Amino acid sequence: MTDRRAFGADAHRYLDGEPFGELSVEERAAADRLANLARAFADRLEPVDAALDEAVMAAVRRRGAVPVGHGAWHWVVSSHRVPVRPVWVAALAAAAVLVLWLAPRRPELSRSGAQRVAAAAAPDTVFVRFELVAPEARSVAVAGSFNGWRTDALPMVRGAAGIWSITVPLPIGEHRYEFVVDQTRWVADPTAHSQVDDGFGGRNSVIVVGPKGLVRS
Amino acid sequence: MEPSDGTIVRRVLDGDVEQYRFLVERYREQFGRYALAVVRDRDAAQDAMQEAFIRAFDALATCRNPDRFGAWFFRILANQCRNVVGRRHEAVDLEAVDPAGGERADAAVDRAELAATLETALAQLTPEQREAFVMKHVEGRSYEEMAELLGVGTDALKMRVYRARDMLRELLGGMP
Repeated sequence: MTDRRAFGADAHRYLDGEPFGELSVEERAAADRLANLARAFADRLEPVDAALDEAVMAAVRRRGAVPVGHGAWHWVVSSHRVPVRPVWVAALAAAAVLVLWLAPRRPELSRSGAQRVAAAAAPDTVFVRFELVAPEARSVAVAGSFNGWRTDALPMVRGAAGIWSITVPLPIGEHRYEFVVDQTRWVADPTAHSQVDDGFGGRNSVIVVGPKGLVRS
Repeated sequence: MEPSDGTIVRRVLDGDVEQYRFLVERYREQFGRYALAVVRDRDAAQDAMQEAFIRAFDALATCRNPDRFGAWFFRILANQCRNVVGRRHEAVDLEAVDPAGGERADAAVDRAELAATLETALAQLTPEQREAFVMKHVEGRSYEEMAELLGVGTDALKMRVYRARDMLRELLGGMP
């Protein structure tokens, strides 16, 4: 039998260490009990092993220096254990290459969402490559404020090692997005510097596309 | 006197990558308990921390305010932890929460068992609620500190903590 009573405002104030008013013996006992559980839980947490430091430093030394720009290529080429990791890559040089690559294929891609976005590319846009490592996914798409949150407009292509990717031109400015895995599962970007509530109990990732190709995610 | 975060970040950006170790030591100690409490698995928590530190190094050039590296890093770490928890959430055993845990605690269940009871219940909260409850009651942070680290207003954080407490009270129904 579960207890469906919520704490009253004074119980919350009591738990916050703030001045509180009338508090029944039962309510106070429930609050004390929760605080005691939290202390017992905290007491059991042992420090993270200092060996972590050397593991991080070994990875840092392999890089040699802080990458210029976002350094996303490291996430693409390095080995890692996190099975789902989206990656951003954006650079003017990459954009130039991609424009050349896309140009002769446009007729073949005329019905694709990516091509429709590409067709709308203007001088104030930057090519952004979305990547998601999801070996077990059957489909992955990116949906966001830049495509009306349509889940079918920007399907990503599966590559080697289960890396799904798509490159789209985004206007300079701030955009919100999520990945859609298997058409049903919305996945936020865990490496985004900023995330905001999506209003549905989830999180939207935020990407800021700046001038000269600078991208922050 | 230890150098400030800003000093260390600037040295690393200037090419002295060994200086990054100071930041790793500093924030492994400061945020390690957070990662362990939120992720609830030691190996996964350490993986999340390691990934977060490497991610932060790769993006260090984009850290706008090096003197506030800690808050910037925490958001990267929090995202890593949410990702780990989110992937595992579907596998949580909903029957694992023992609603009689509180009653049995009165009958001299040891603190390890108490902690395990809360740990299981925490898994049922939303990531935001769990994060807020851990920061408030496990790490003992003020709402102002939490707001600084999470970039969320204190009112919204209070609401998350309140809802987390209410949900935990319901899940741990044996509480008096």
